[in-house]
Amino acid sequence: MPLNIDLQQILLHWMNLAILTGGLYFLLFKPVKAFMVKREEHYRSLDEEAAARLAEAEKIKAECQAKLEEADEEIRQERAKAQQAIQQSTEDQLAQAKEQARQIVVHAQAEAEHSRERVLRDSQRELRKLAAQATKKLAFHADPFDQFLDLAEEGEEYEE
Amino acid sequence: MKQHKKALVVWVGAVLVLLAGALLAGSSGRTESVQETMRDAVLHEVNQVGLFGLREVNPGMISALLVTAFLLLAAACIRLFAIPRFRYRPGRLQMVLEEAVGLFDGMARGGSPHRCGFLGAYIFAAGAYIFVGTLFELLGVQAVTVHGHPITLPAPLSDVNAAIALGTLSYLVILSGGIAGNGVKGVGKTLKEFSLPISMSFRLFGALLSGLLVTELVYYYVNLSYVLPVLVGVLFTLLHALIQTYVLTMLVSMYYGEVSEQSAPKGKKKKVNAEIN
Repeated sequence: MPLNIDLQQILLHWMNLAILTGGLYFLLFKPVKAFMVKREEHYRSLDEEAAARLAEAEKIKAECQAKLEEADEEIRQERAKAQQAIQQSTEDQLAQAKEQARQIVVHAQAEAEHSRERVLRDSQRELRKLAAQATKKLAFHADPFDQFLDLAEEGEEYEE
Repeated sequence: MKQHKKALVVWVGAVLVLLAGALLAGSSGRTESVQETMRDAVLHEVNQVGLFGLREVNPGMISALLVTAFLLLAAACIRLFAIPRFRYRPGRLQMVLEEAVGLFDGMARGGSPHRCGFLGAYIFAAGAYIFVGTLFELLGVQAVTVHGHPITLPAPLSDVNAAIALGTLSYLVILSGGIAGNGVKGVGKTLKEFSLPISMSFRLFGALLSGLLVTELVYYYVNLSYVLPVLVGVLFTLLHALIQTYVLTMLVSMYYGEVSEQSAPKGKKKKVNAEIN
């Protein structure tokens, strides 16, 4: 054959290559690839686990957020209620105080009126009594003018 | 600094001693002219080596067997001692192995996404064979011819028989992909690329042989044997190894993907064309 091409040697090379391919496949390629696949699976499972945990954490976070919002709303409502109650209580107290003040004023006015009437009545009674005494003295004493003056002085002292 | 100087002096001294030794020892004389050496590097008509006493074969055959033995031994050692110690956080060796397997597996997936199981294994083995086989010539492993002359074993693929074997085997792998993917239609698809085994075989042979011839030429003359082999021998060989590995594996995965891809039924094609129109 030209170029020293030898069919037998070509077949020997084929056999050699077949042995090499099979040997390298079973000894190196397959186990290394299997390990690479295993590692990929391992990291994929870790990744999936992490993703699941993250999703769970997100869910818990969302729940907490919802609870926080709920609590905020509750607090807001309670605060509004409390403010309303305070407002109501203040208004009640104010109304009560006004009522008390009005009653005090009415009572004071009534008492003042009563006092005034009593003083007036006492003074009228006193005047009547003085007038009776003066009349009595005028009727029974010599100098009625002096007696009158004495009685008048006494009456001033009494008024003071 | 003193230690560095000492080491430098020792190194230069050793180089000079070796040089003097090489020059004083001389050579046993040339057994063949440069023309004969080059011709034999291509054709291997004269310097044949005995294969376990069974028959005479080209030195490339011995190289191929040695490379296969080395690769299988290394793979067995790795399988026994390294792979059981693999960790999820890889060490250096694990990273290299995973990178190599991942590279060829990825190449197979890229070239033939629908059918890549066997293809990945094949191009991994072919890639390892071409790469290690090409670097094998750097070792300068010696053998004795049937005529009793010592020779340096060449890269396996610089033997035309090895190149043809790898090219045709790759073609058969592509054909098997075509049959597995498309049945008889796959055979037709593969046969359309009838020039593929020849082109792959002779591309490999030519690339590896050119490296071998340059190396032979350089080493034939003593005056060219200093410094120059560092460039010619190591860098060119490394470059060859990488390029040829990449080219063959890429071609195989590409053609494999092409012939094993299931084509759409004709009715559907017509329908699609009608929709386009």
